[in-house]
Amino acid sequence: MTNAKKSEVLQGTLDLMILKTLHALGAQHGFGIARRIEQVSRDVLQLNEGKVYTSLLRLLQQGWIAAEWGTSDNNRKAKFYSITARGEKQLAVETENWERISGVVGRVLRLEGER
Amino acid sequence: MDNRRISQLRAITARVLGLFRSRKRDREFDEEMQAHLQLLVDRFVAQGMSQEDAAAAARRQFGNTTLLQEDRRELRTLVSVEDLGRDLRYALRSLGRSRAFTAVAIATLGLGIGASTAIFSVIDNVLLEPFPYKDPGRMVFLQIHDTARGQEGGRQGYTSNELLEFAEHNHVFDGVIAASDDLVLYKQGEGVELLYGAHVTPGTFEFFGMPALYGRVLQAPDYQPGAAPVFVMRHKTWMVRFNGDPGVLNKTFVLNGTARTLIGIMPPRFGWYEADVLIPETPIRGAATGYAGLPARWFLLGRLKTGVSKAQAAADATVIANHLAKINPQDYPAHFRVFVKRLGDTVVGRFESTLYTILAAVGLLLLIGCGNVANLMLARATSREKEFALRAVLGAGRTRLVRLLLVESLVLAIGGAALGVLIAWGGLKLIVAAMPQNLIPAESVIELNAPVLVFTLVVAVLTALIFGLAPALRAARRELNDPLRDSGKGVIGGFRTGRMRDTVVVMEVAVSLTLLIGAGLLMRSFVALREVHLGLQADHVFETQLPLPEDRYKTAAQVRGFFQPLLARVKAIPGVVDATESSALPPYGGMDSKMDISGKSHEEEWHTLLQNISEGYFRVLRIPFKMGRAFSEAEINDARRVAVVNETFVSTFLRGEDPMGRRIKLAGLETLADPVREPWFEIVGVVADVTNQGLQAPVEPEVWVPYTVTGSGAQVLLVRSQQTPTALMNDVRQAVWATDTGVALAFPSALQDRISQLLYAGPRFAFLLMTIFGCLGLILVTVGVYSVLAYATARKTHEIGIRMALGAQRTDVLRLVIRTGLRLVSAGAAIGLIMSLLLGRVIEAELWRGLKPYDPATLAGTTLLLVGTGALACWIPARRAARVDPMVALRYE
Repeated sequence: MTNAKKSEVLQGTLDLMILKTLHALGAQHGFGIARRIEQVSRDVLQLNEGKVYTSLLRLLQQGWIAAEWGTSDNNRKAKFYSITARGEKQLAVETENWERISGVVGRVLRLEGER
Repeated sequence: MDNRRISQLRAITARVLGLFRSRKRDREFDEEMQAHLQLLVDRFVAQGMSQEDAAAAARRQFGNTTLLQEDRRELRTLVSVEDLGRDLRYALRSLGRSRAFTAVAIATLGLGIGASTAIFSVIDNVLLEPFPYKDPGRMVFLQIHDTARGQEGGRQGYTSNELLEFAEHNHVFDGVIAASDDLVLYKQGEGVELLYGAHVTPGTFEFFGMPALYGRVLQAPDYQPGAAPVFVMRHKTWMVRFNGDPGVLNKTFVLNGTARTLIGIMPPRFGWYEADVLIPETPIRGAATGYAGLPARWFLLGRLKTGVSKAQAAADATVIANHLAKINPQDYPAHFRVFVKRLGDTVVGRFESTLYTILAAVGLLLLIGCGNVANLMLARATSREKEFALRAVLGAGRTRLVRLLLVESLVLAIGGAALGVLIAWGGLKLIVAAMPQNLIPAESVIELNAPVLVFTLVVAVLTALIFGLAPALRAARRELNDPLRDSGKGVIGGFRTGRMRDTVVVMEVAVSLTLLIGAGLLMRSFVALREVHLGLQADHVFETQLPLPEDRYKTAAQVRGFFQPLLARVKAIPGVVDATESSALPPYGGMDSKMDISGKSHEEEWHTLLQNISEGYFRVLRIPFKMGRAFSEAEINDARRVAVVNETFVSTFLRGEDPMGRRIKLAGLETLADPVREPWFEIVGVVADVTNQGLQAPVEPEVWVPYTVTGSGAQVLLVRSQQTPTALMNDVRQAVWATDTGVALAFPSALQDRISQLLYAGPRFAFLLMTIFGCLGLILVTVGVYSVLAYATARKTHEIGIRMALGAQRTDVLRLVIRTGLRLVSAGAAIGLIMSLLLGRVIEAELWRGLKPYDPATLAGTTLLLVGTGALACWIPARRAARVDPMVALRYE
């Protein structure tokens, strides 16, 4: 149960990060997405890169991203993911949610600290 | 639809599709992961690691691929087997803890599912798959429908000429066969017994594609001229008459004077023409004489070629019929259409809509049951809110919770289905006993079979979704924090959760009222049907057909030589009031005849029903005279040309004129095997109308003449007695045998019993079942209303306590609760009334003419019954609420 809970919390943020990445960089394959998150988070986030694929599948099912087989830089066959119009809409909603929640959490934490 | 909803929908679709395209996707997923790992390894190697270290580091960074695959699998499909097992165990444990709830839910569902299963069995076995033959769906027969007549139906018996024309010149049938009736007398011991026989044309058994159970079926050589005479017997006849003794096979029987060998016994489900014995006959062109000297008529059955529709067949048959109508204009109405009917339509016809109406009723009953269980689940879910909230907080996803609750529902539904199969198994015996035997095909065997059980399973799963989904979604939607805060007994808490339960109760009441109104209408219809005046008194009348051996009874004198002494003997039996000969059995008149009246000219043909009788006929059936008199004994003995007509005859052909002494010509008598030359008759009496086309159809003009004018025609004996009519059977048989040992009683019965079976059995079946289901629905609704109110008041004990502490009287509380309950019931009743009016069309076909689906008396009566019962269901919880002691209620907690 505890594990599931942790992954669920992580799940939501990872989905959001992937959406944001695809929004920012355009079509990417899984490896590229993992690299981008690694780069942006500056190794603060310990990420099992395999989880990226679970997230991608979930996003695909929701219709927020689309996938297409293509060729990577080094001429390998790879699946490329890109954000859809509905994905963009969802990204806006989720971003706003996230900012609101993190703002609240931050305030609460500051309050704790002042006491 | 908002964005979120669409996304959910897409996700579910993707998962469902995932069930099918799994293997390819799995491989692709693997490839993708392997490619990713390889890229990581390459990167680490480039950073200076050894190949092995790089591989290990890559795996570490990527994570556990097996776990990933599992995650993926769970995402992709709707349920994983492992989780399902866990949910199932949990559901069983949780249901086991609340035994009362489980028992009530399973009983309710079992009732609904059982009733639907039973009715579906009947429909499957009677309507969907009644015939065990090869391609029964393509077997059709033809009807010549007179467009001038309002009602459906038409002639479906054809002469040998017509049969051969249809068989040889059609372009739409693979094969055409036919059968014609024959009453078969055979010597058995000292006397004779009677069988219902059918003459069947070549190819009949190949057409049905059914082998014999013992021996063999009729084959082409049996039809050759000079072939040894043979016949085949039906299974039922073999069991009843010969106790299933295989020794009768290959024995020789004398059938209607011909020695024939029994060569085969058919399997139990072979029931073509419902004939006891099947005799080979090759139809030949030219007038053939059939049973009782009447012209032979063939009932024709064709198998549609593949891809040929009924409409195409009708068009093709119309061409042939038009040709035949030119040759034999007397056999065809001026304007007619050819109808193509399926084999099942011979018997089922009207009964089909009855069965579907009942199936609809059972569906409504099941819906009410679902409503009750859904409400129980909702109530249960409310008290389990804390449990769900805890689960959610501990990380159970929304889907997980919904799934858990759905599995619980499914367990309940499967339990209900198991109970339902038992109920159906028992109920089916009762239904079969109540079923009108003449309305279902002889071939159908009503039992629980594989399609029926599949139906039950599907219904169970559907029910689980219907009653389980709403509570499950609701439980999962709740904000996590609320229930943890709420003690469950607050002043506000109870109101909000009640809306959904209220809706369910309102819908239940509506559905139940619809059901009750249906039952009420059928009941009124049935009563109206029973009150229809037949025009005769059917009680205390014994009837039997007496087919006379054709070799010895050809002329009028010969027939009179049998009946005169027989009637004298029967009248001498103690308890017998009167007896008469007749050529037809009520509620049907005799044969159809062309008719002219001297001094009247008319352009179109005039037709009348024509029946031969002896002088006691109108006395035995207590048919009153409007004018003139009955035949005298002398007129019968001398075969005088006198006639009695009915009122419809007078109003149709002699409106405003004096019918007495008018002379009519009954041309039909000229066409008999023993014809009447120059058939002019003088009208001596007019009787009141008697139903002569069955109950539903209007009375036709009818003429009665002395039976002594011809030796042709069916012979029937009607006896009025003081005691139970069937008690006369042996005495009458002795009287018959004393007159002629070669004559057997055919289909002896009490007139009233046969009329009941014929006319009332179908409507009675419909009304009986509808009433049972209506009552069950009412009980379920009462339980539903009661449980919702009881639950609501129990939750509001605290609030009621406060109200009473603040000065509310007991009557106020009583009024409050009853008003709450009655508001639900009346809202439901209003919706139910609207629903009934909308659905009225469905049941209209089942109703006796004159009765409308919006019959005010029925609507008022059933609504009153429902509201009354609903008020009763409110009373008990209201009383309990009124008895709340404010001190106790407030101290509680």
